[in-house]
Amino acid sequence: MHAPPVVFRKVRARSSNSCFKNPHDDDMQAIEVSHLIKRFGTLTAVNDITFSVAAGETFGFLGPNGAGKTTTIRILTGISPPNSGQATIFGHDIMRETVAARQSMGIVSETSNVYTDLTGWQNMMLAAQLYRIGRSEREKNASELLKRFELYERRNDKVHGFSKGMKRRLTIAMGLVNSPRLLFLDEPTSGLDVESNLIIRQMISDLITGGVTVFLTTHNIEEANILCDRVAIIDKGVIAAIDAPEQLKKTIQSVQSIEVAFLDGTSPTRLDELRALPMVNDARKEGDKFKLFTEDPSQVIDAVMAYAHDHHTRVISITTLGPSLEDVFVRLTGLQRGGGISAID
Amino acid sequence: MPSISLAGIEDRLSRELVAAWAIAKKDVLIYYLRPGVIVGGVLFPLFMFLAFSAGKLATPVQLVPGLIGITTLFSASSIEPVSVPIERRTETFDRLLAAPISLNALVLGESISGLVYSVLIAAVVFIAALAVLMTPIANIFLIVFGILFSSMCFATLGTLFAAYPTENPGDIISMVNVVRFPLIFISGVFIPIAVLPSFGQMIAYISPLTYANDLIQGGYSGKMTFHPIFDVGMLIVFILIFQVIANYLYKRFND
Repeated sequence: MHAPPVVFRKVRARSSNSCFKNPHDDDMQAIEVSHLIKRFGTLTAVNDITFSVAAGETFGFLGPNGAGKTTTIRILTGISPPNSGQATIFGHDIMRETVAARQSMGIVSETSNVYTDLTGWQNMMLAAQLYRIGRSEREKNASELLKRFELYERRNDKVHGFSKGMKRRLTIAMGLVNSPRLLFLDEPTSGLDVESNLIIRQMISDLITGGVTVFLTTHNIEEANILCDRVAIIDKGVIAAIDAPEQLKKTIQSVQSIEVAFLDGTSPTRLDELRALPMVNDARKEGDKFKLFTEDPSQVIDAVMAYAHDHHTRVISITTLGPSLEDVFVRLTGLQRGGGISAID
Repeated sequence: MPSISLAGIEDRLSRELVAAWAIAKKDVLIYYLRPGVIVGGVLFPLFMFLAFSAGKLATPVQLVPGLIGITTLFSASSIEPVSVPIERRTETFDRLLAAPISLNALVLGESISGLVYSVLIAAVVFIAALAVLMTPIANIFLIVFGILFSSMCFATLGTLFAAYPTENPGDIISMVNVVRFPLIFISGVFIPIAVLPSFGQMIAYISPLTYANDLIQGGYSGKMTFHPIFDVGMLIVFILIFQVIANYLYKRFND
């Protein structure tokens, strides 16, 4: 049974925390990070990063494992203090006005950190009470969200009987129970079944449409490419690049590629043979196709046709591709394709 | 700078208390029937009591206060050493750390679950003693205050130890036991403080169990070492000290 889609309310400058109400909320950036540094002993996990996220923006935060993504999120959510620098959430300093800053955010961590000994409903109620949402509002919000995530029928079941995808959906529902203006989403769809993936991606799209600021951390670069207004690529604690996905792709126009498939499929030696063609910088096999990286696609197309003729085969499809966000990521982080690329997807 | 009004402070306080109670309720639902909690909070004090009282020619008035005292000590400090490491492992503790509440509210919420657990167990002991042994009572208010304040004090002690950054409850239970066991012998529960050597007597004064035991003993026998207000005051001081240290440790270890 599919529940009718919930329209996420457009939430701007709304704070229930009268103690810290700031009259200039409307003009605030959702996140402002200035010269943030975080060290663990001799390791500098976050090294002087500065960026901002506008209200209503969907911001992707990408990086290889150990790049500093989680540390940055822990600082921005007030769990971990920085050694130096400043971070504000809608104008509230996360270190000095932690409670006020957190009141406007929802946090969905990478792990589905739900209480498996409680029911789905009890989990929602607990999450809402931590934000001091009144009984009628929290029950209304919880019902809406559980229906939205197709968990309502199982609301009275203990969570330890839920599938991985259901736990993930419940985690996200709990992160939305306070109708946050800013949502931290850490790997929302990693390793999920197709149904959960579709539900969660639709939810993210609805949030974006509803004006919620989304801070998205993901290993799925294509997901970031589709969803994000801007992405930052962090590597070894330093922001390597920060821009709109299309702008980032423009910076490496030299990394264009040709995707080609041959009638007789692949052969063990074909990859090396294609890699040896003139103007081909690199090549990799992708399923029944080959992807050839080049700075001059037209010359490579000619070379591929000549290769097909010489090897008595036919090209059944050939496509010219611009650089992908993954290409940008690989270029900036220095990851090696093949073994290295598995770390980001 | 944001302005802070009186209404804002009230709002903040109310928010903290609601969140603390939500955390406590969660612990009640999840951890009260965990084997580790039952062993540490119910069976352990019972066996300890039997080990030290069996064979002694003592009256119920002499024995029951000691049983209630060690019951509050063990049961109140048994919940958080189990719940917090488990929640670190499942990362649900991060959910509490990232909630819009202060660390004080988090520590308070965790401690309240130990308090409620301890009061329930102590009430069972109290009622059973009354029904089965027909223990005479000199002043019930002293017993009630003794149970309430000592339960909160030892629950906060348990929360303090649970700040140690481990995902294994056994690590914390071992550390808590290093403190809990000596307290039994230096606080007048089994051995009167008056017969302790002078060094032991000095240590007794820095044990919260001394003041808890004095209140409960006074409730049953009418005889007390200290004035009841002094006992309650000392327990409140211990609660505040443990709360402040716990707050500091959670902040430090969660980095």
